[in-house]
Amino acid sequence: MSFLVNPYLYAPTCADADGAAFLSAAGITDPTITSAICTLVTSMKANGTWAKCSAIYPMVGGTAATHKFNLKNPLDTNAAFRLNFVGGWTHSANGALPNGTNAYADSFLNASTLLTKTNTHLSVYLRTDLNIGLFPVDIGSSTDVNLGTNNTILITRYTNKSFNAIAQNGSFQPASLDSRGLWNITTNSSTTGVYYRNGTQYGTSITAQNNFANVSLYIGAVNNNGTPTFYSNKQNAFASIGSGFSSTEAAALYTAVQAMQTTLGRQV
Amino acid sequence: MQVYILTYEQAQSLIGIQFMPDNYFNPIMDAEGNHIISIEEVEQCSIDWVKALPLITYKPIISKPWQE
Repeated sequence: MSFLVNPYLYAPTCADADGAAFLSAAGITDPTITSAICTLVTSMKANGTWAKCSAIYPMVGGTAATHKFNLKNPLDTNAAFRLNFVGGWTHSANGALPNGTNAYADSFLNASTLLTKTNTHLSVYLRTDLNIGLFPVDIGSSTDVNLGTNNTILITRYTNKSFNAIAQNGSFQPASLDSRGLWNITTNSSTTGVYYRNGTQYGTSITAQNNFANVSLYIGAVNNNGTPTFYSNKQNAFASIGSGFSSTEAAALYTAVQAMQTTLGRQV
Repeated sequence: MQVYILTYEQAQSLIGIQFMPDNYFNPIMDAEGNHIISIEEVEQCSIDWVKALPLITYKPIISKPWQE
């Protein structure tokens, strides 16, 4: 006697309601991704970073239709900060790769209306190491075509430097010899910007002295008063936007995100 | 690096159009005023006239960033 088992009857589920809602919205039933997302959500809730995020983009499922969802609010609406992919992206199980020519994703998250400049973070997990001379903006907004004013920007590497700012004219540009990993720029109840790579602090500077641009943040380029410029071509496997982190929270976020990437077999 | 060249009218017709689910075309201009789209957009779309567009060498508009 043999039995025919319907795998969908035994598809793994996520006990956490937020994780389950995201997986349902994205139509994801893969057990590995389900496990990775559930663990990410429970870890971030336990370490305090979940509550500080307005948007979390885990970039799982391998298509624009799955990468677009905000884990914090997985509705297919602009108001839920669902990503809108525009231009030459390549989506795969490893994340979302912009082409550096005309690709960006609109988060619809306007920091000027949602966040406080002295209490803000941006983070990206990148799988590509590039050191080109142009300014490949990994996430950001600005009011100046030359990135001179009101920058909220993270560039992980160009000419062996990074470019980091939250509501700041200009930027702090510490050395950067590898753009891969989890990058995080944060202000935490002050005008001191703290910069982390893989949970480890690599610099501080005065920031948040000016204003947020009154436009949404783009991923893969900078939103320059509504016009995308300075396109990046680094593969993105996670991003988050929200309130500022402490050093403990920044380290904990890295641990949680890296665990998710390791489960998915795409860690760097 | 190469890109596909469009007429102004063709570029306008692709604005707001998906080349695959949940990913939209983004016609831009190059440094010589040509309307162009990327290889990624053309390769992943299923619109016949888009796939028949001619290739040209990409000449990007170079933006001058702020310097410290």
